[in-house]
Amino acid sequence: MNPAELTAYITSNFSGQLETVENDQAEPYFIVPLSDLVPFSKFIHDDPQLELNYLMNMAGVDTGEQFEVVLNPCSLVNMQRLFFKVVLDRGDPKFDTVSNLWAAANWYEREIWELYGFEITGHPNLKRFLLPDDWDDGFPLRKGWVGKNVIPLPEK
Amino acid sequence: MTQDLHTEKMVINMGPHHPSTHGVCRLILTLDGENVVECEPVIGYLHRSIEKICENRTYAQCIPLMDRFEYVTSMSCNWVFALATEKLTDLEIPERAEYLRVIMTELNRIASHLLCIGVTGLDLGALTPFLYTFRERELILDLFEMTCGQRLTYNYIRIGGVSQDIPDEFIPKCREFLDIFDEKVDDYEKVLTENPIWMARNKGIGVISKQQVYDFAISGPSARASGVDFDIRRDDPYSVYDRFDYTIPVFEGGDSYDRYRARVQEMRESAKIIGQALDQLPGGDIRAKVRAMFKPKAGEVYSRIENSRGEMGIYLLSDGGKKPVRVRARGASYNHLLIIPEIIKGLKIADLVAIFASLDVILPEIDR
Amino acid sequence: MGIISKLPVFTENLPGGGLVTTSLNQILTMTQAKSLWYLLFGTACCAIELMATGASRYDFDRLGMIFRASPRQSDLMIVAGTVTYKMAPIVKRLYDQMAEPRYVLAMGGCAIGGGPFYYDSYSVLRGIDKIIPVDVYVPGCPPRPEALLQGCLEVGKKLRTQKLEDWSGPKNESR
Repeated sequence: MNPAELTAYITSNFSGQLETVENDQAEPYFIVPLSDLVPFSKFIHDDPQLELNYLMNMAGVDTGEQFEVVLNPCSLVNMQRLFFKVVLDRGDPKFDTVSNLWAAANWYEREIWELYGFEITGHPNLKRFLLPDDWDDGFPLRKGWVGKNVIPLPEK
Repeated sequence: MTQDLHTEKMVINMGPHHPSTHGVCRLILTLDGENVVECEPVIGYLHRSIEKICENRTYAQCIPLMDRFEYVTSMSCNWVFALATEKLTDLEIPERAEYLRVIMTELNRIASHLLCIGVTGLDLGALTPFLYTFRERELILDLFEMTCGQRLTYNYIRIGGVSQDIPDEFIPKCREFLDIFDEKVDDYEKVLTENPIWMARNKGIGVISKQQVYDFAISGPSARASGVDFDIRRDDPYSVYDRFDYTIPVFEGGDSYDRYRARVQEMRESAKIIGQALDQLPGGDIRAKVRAMFKPKAGEVYSRIENSRGEMGIYLLSDGGKKPVRVRARGASYNHLLIIPEIIKGLKIADLVAIFASLDVILPEIDR
Repeated sequence: MGIISKLPVFTENLPGGGLVTTSLNQILTMTQAKSLWYLLFGTACCAIELMATGASRYDFDRLGMIFRASPRQSDLMIVAGTVTYKMAPIVKRLYDQMAEPRYVLAMGGCAIGGGPFYYDSYSVLRGIDKIIPVDVYVPGCPPRPEALLQGCLEVGKKLRTQKLEDWSGPKNESR
């Protein structure tokens, strides 16, 4: 399936609300409602036409205005890629784990929890692993965060 | 009598300063005698916050940081960042630059596999292959050094092309290397492939099933050793890889031994690609015109390339300004370390070293 | 007699052999300088250059330098690579485990002063001399193997000035 067909297939077969974003990249791009993250992930993971069972990347994002989580699954069977994201509530950033679908998401989510401080419901093992064990300096990848140990780059 | 013997489970700490963890990785092992019951990796000892630093640098300044993201194959790191950025522009990359990128990255792939095979030997107690592989690795580093002046962190592949053209003596030197390289690979194989100790230590150890490859997003030679015929160079093509004739070695065993064989075959294939690229190398510019204050379009992109370890990717979010809003670097070792606790269960502690080395886990691309 | 005649020793030739008198300090220093075992402590990029220095072309062994994985057997600690705040207590502990007299070589920009991660990084220790005393600095990102060899020879030079007291107790604070 080419990207246009893939977009059409997903929007017609998935029951929830999807927002398609036009872009000039090779893969379809969706914004999925937060409540539909797990159903949508399950649909693209299990659907025999899609089989997007390989999670290439998962990243937390702070654009300055909103918190997002970006997922990039692909399929090693029919070589398709997908790009989708969920937008989190800025006041109470929280999403459900997808690590029981893609085992690889286990550490991706753990990292997002650690560096962004998003709450992840249902994750099996939320423990610090990148930062020191006695870290108490907030969530470093959020925008506007200034840490105790940071020396900012001097302006010219 | 033996049934009455009672052994206690023991928790031991391996690392972060341990020569066979290839960097600074700590493993908390629960042992029953010599058998591993549980293994919990603790990472972060090399977390240099590259992603945060990138948010405060211009796009051109990010590329040297990418060198340090995964220093064994810096060329690929340079390339994947440049590729992600170029997807957000309409730059035309000159053909010569594309070929130079392919040549350098494939040379770097060979150098990385040489390091992996040599160090695997060292970890399993064979010193000779280490000395052999580093002898040839130095020849490749010489080629890099004459091109960009550095042995390890190149900063060679830039946005829009490469930083400088190859010198005149590069092509004859490179051909000289390719001429002897196949024989040298035969030498390594003579020392290792049929070696009974090597086979005993590696065969049937750390088997990764096909399903696990999908679930844990294993990639590169480690996935191809498990029978998954997938290579980004062929299946999600980028640059000029579609113009070369090469095969992608696939093995079915999924164990450490097959991962080793996949790497050896891949080195031979890379040498073939370099030979063809040198034959086809066109003249012309090496760099597209990029403005000093470079700004890509607003947008987001995930681009990936085939690194010597597997899939290396960059997620890039740009708001059209001169600095990226978010960079996430994805290294193959991240997922390879994640699977080790799954496949080590029930094996001996000595096998852990073999698995660690054969998956070619290195820590900088995990910690970033 | 070639080597012996160059040393500050007293030699007495006797029939069927000879007698050599020298100071204990001299003999200990000489043996340590000729077999400077180093602690393999690689964390990042510089570790790869450290390995290359130990391998075929540059051959550390000809200086009598052999890597040890245990700090208790080593005289020199080569800190090759970035040290983060999470890693810093471990570096300190390894240094404390080494026997006197001990030497530290900081290899590369990160170990010297944070290198490319000096600005904007929240996790990198800006120079290992904040936690342990450093004897020789080898700059570069990463330094070439020749530079590292030179650095090790400098350690050898410094080592020849050591006193017998250095072998027993903790070192003078002012070192």
